[in-house]
Amino acid sequence: MHIILVDDEQKFVTMLAKRLALRGIHADIAFSGDEAIQKAEKNTYDAAVLDLKMPGISGIQLKDRLHDMQPDLAFIFVTGHGGMDTPEKELVQKEIFLSKPLNIDILTDKLNEIAGKG
Amino acid sequence: MHNDANDLLNKEGLKFFGKVNASISHELKNILAIISETAGLLSDLTELARHGKQIELSMLENCSSNIAEEIQRGFRTIKQMNRFAHSVDDFIKETDLLETLDLAIQLTGYLSFAITVQTDFQTKPEKPVLTCPFLLQNLLYQVLCFTYAAVGHNGHIHIRCSSQDNTGIYLVFSSTFEQAFSSFPTQGIQHTADVLGAKLNTDSKFAELDVWIPYTNPKFMTKEHKR
Repeated sequence: MHIILVDDEQKFVTMLAKRLALRGIHADIAFSGDEAIQKAEKNTYDAAVLDLKMPGISGIQLKDRLHDMQPDLAFIFVTGHGGMDTPEKELVQKEIFLSKPLNIDILTDKLNEIAGKG
Repeated sequence: MHNDANDLLNKEGLKFFGKVNASISHELKNILAIISETAGLLSDLTELARHGKQIELSMLENCSSNIAEEIQRGFRTIKQMNRFAHSVDDFIKETDLLETLDLAIQLTGYLSFAITVQTDFQTKPEKPVLTCPFLLQNLLYQVLCFTYAAVGHNGHIHIRCSSQDNTGIYLVFSSTFEQAFSSFPTQGIQHTADVLGAKLNTDSKFAELDVWIPYTNPKFMTKEHKR
């Protein structure tokens, strides 16, 4: 399984990618929406794990851009915010949504579910 | 005497306090998330070592320094939280403008749309500002948020002090783009400035805005200050 992790918290995604690699999940990392788009131009992913609020392109805007590029891509949103604004809730209500700090077992279960669907 | 400041505090104060606390809690969650993932990786490596896999020492060193760095980041965040909490201690007091600005820069730095702020204080305020410190904090926070949104994440802002006389001091915010500040000030910023007796201006190209803060606002003066 090949995924992309996008978060401006660089250490967070770097650590998470290492832990996922130990579980057989190959994760590319990007620290911004622009970097994620560049990587998605060169690679095909099964899932994208996106921070909801990032400088520049937000997680929700990035989802739309990545979906246009790779329509089969599944999305998981991650945030450190305790709550979301109402418009954000409406936009992500159909998506998988996980709160920081992450539980790696829940994340890998969700990713395996996504891989199973494929 | 300063009913309008009281009214504004009652109306907007809690909202501002909540907004800042939300951004701090977000920062702390990010710090804990990194510590949590690093601890998780250490646990994963321990498990691998238990099964005979050779673990590189550099990985352990990296984990250890990550945790130490994030703990320091957490301490810095809590220090700003504490400074902010104490900004409500006195309704009116002689306030260090640059210290208040520094705290506003630190606090707005936790927002996802924050951009790089450069400061150059060759000119400094001659004396403390007699004001409502919490509302001054609120005004500077609002102005910084406005500039971040107006300039966008590819730009940066530069702040300096400028003094023309001894009645007050200008904080000058410069953007990297012309027209960036064309919609300045917002209603909220103008209202807060009015209550504090501050004046707001933009230059003709809207690439610069300034906030003039009076050293003394007569409506904040008590008998003790007038003596």
